[in-house]
Amino acid sequence: MDIFIENLTKEYENKRVLDIDTLNINQGRIIGIVGSNGAGKSTLIKILGGLEQPDSGSISYNGEKDFDKIYRDITIVFQQPYLLVSNVYNNIAYPLKVRKYKNSDIKNRVNTIMKDMGIDYLAKQKARTLSGGERQKVALARAIIFNPSLLLLDEPTANIDPDSMNTMEDTIKKFNKTNGSTIIIVTHNPEQAKRLCDEIIVMDKGKIKRKITNADFNQYNFRESI
Amino acid sequence: MAEIFKEAIKLLATFDKEIYEIVFLSMIVSFSSTFISTIIAVPLGILLGNIEFPFKRVVVRILYTTMSLPPVIVGLVVFLILSRKGPLGYLDLNFTPSAMIIAQTILIIPIIMGIVYNRTKEDGRNIHNIGKTLGASYFQRGILTIKELRIPIFIAIVSGYGRAVSEVGAIMIVGGNIKGHTRVMTTSIAMLKNMGNYSMAIAIGIVLLTISFIVNGILYHFQGE
Ligand SMILES: Nc1ncnc2c1ncn2[C@@H]1O[C@H](COP(=O)(O)OP(=O)(O)O)[C@@H](O)[C@H]1O
Ligand SMILES: [Mg+2]
Repeated sequence: MDIFIENLTKEYENKRVLDIDTLNINQGRIIGIVGSNGAGKSTLIKILGGLEQPDSGSISYNGEKDFDKIYRDITIVFQQPYLLVSNVYNNIAYPLKVRKYKNSDIKNRVNTIMKDMGIDYLAKQKARTLSGGERQKVALARAIIFNPSLLLLDEPTANIDPDSMNTMEDTIKKFNKTNGSTIIIVTHNPEQAKRLCDEIIVMDKGKIKRKITNADFNQYNFRESI
Repeated sequence: MAEIFKEAIKLLATFDKEIYEIVFLSMIVSFSSTFISTIIAVPLGILLGNIEFPFKRVVVRILYTTMSLPPVIVGLVVFLILSRKGPLGYLDLNFTPSAMIIAQTILIIPIIMGIVYNRTKEDGRNIHNIGKTLGASYFQRGILTIKELRIPIFIAIVSGYGRAVSEVGAIMIVGGNIKGHTRVMTTSIAMLKNMGNYSMAIAIGIVLLTISFIVNGILYHFQGE
């Protein structure tokens, strides 16, 4: 999915928390967003995913006009994902159920993705009883199961164990390769940004302060901006 | 004292017809009012938890206040509305089980609605958001909300039932405790005590206590989830 943002602003209680002139993100790219707390990263993610409305400006998704259709093709994984009061299998199956997939298809897809991510042993476990790393993996599996064209990740690997983080990163990269989906990931981890992203956007006080392409990653001092 | 208890157990064990009629009517009246309240209060509680509108805080304050309405006041108001000269007097419902159901319904709608609202307020937005990001339609998100909140909704309903079945003031006023017609567990205990018929009062009391234990057992079991 190609995304084109123009003159996007958002205020909370008369405080401008987002103010983006233009931002172009091309289909199939993995974009990192970094920046200090309160920079507006999560707000941008929520607006992109249709959970919040901007006060002004526009976002074009492939030039598509039917926003209901667009939002059904986008998904978000949050730092604290809400998992359904059910088992892991049903959580991952949910996006396919609402899309009225056949039960046999659902079973195949869910089982495949659980195996790929090494979480098949959790299938029957109540989602609310999972550890932090397991929760994130389930949330990611649930997000990509329906092959969204735009995957938005808001600090999905903050505070989880290294093994889970590796699995998450591998899954994200593989999903990007096989589906050509656009991915935007907010992270506080510069190493992670370097490992995953084609380009990094540095945000500060609601604005885009800098864009860095993969080739220049090593010259840039991320510590300053995170 | 021991004699009275023995007598009470005997009444229960021999399936004394009058006692079981009273218990049966109690159950019917309270189930009906809980059922009607559930249909009204669960959607309203979810709605209130999910939408913003002017003076919402006032509405919430009123809701919380009405969760502990004094039953005798509710009984009195319902009685006056249903009395011959009242606005709904033509229905001629006073001193019928219907009037008791109406009074109980008014008492427990706020209880069910309040509990449902409280939980929806906390999780409703998260549920709605996750539904949307995973592709659920507006209708599917409504279903998802009810499904996700099924345990608090169940707790709310059981609490409402517990309140209905143990309440005495309102149904005494609108029902009148007429033998074989509007006499329920709580009103007959009150009456039997006045008459000095302790064994029967205790027999019914045991049934009522058992129901309370079951209700609280259910609440305790699910509260931890
Ligand atoms: N619902 C809200 N109401 C009021 N202020 C908010 C709300 N959401 C975010 N903010 C404020 O907007 C600013 C940006 O927040 P956010 O996008 O979450 O930042 P980040 O994710 O970069 O840490 C912060 O100052 C935050 O306090
Ligand atoms: Mg954030």
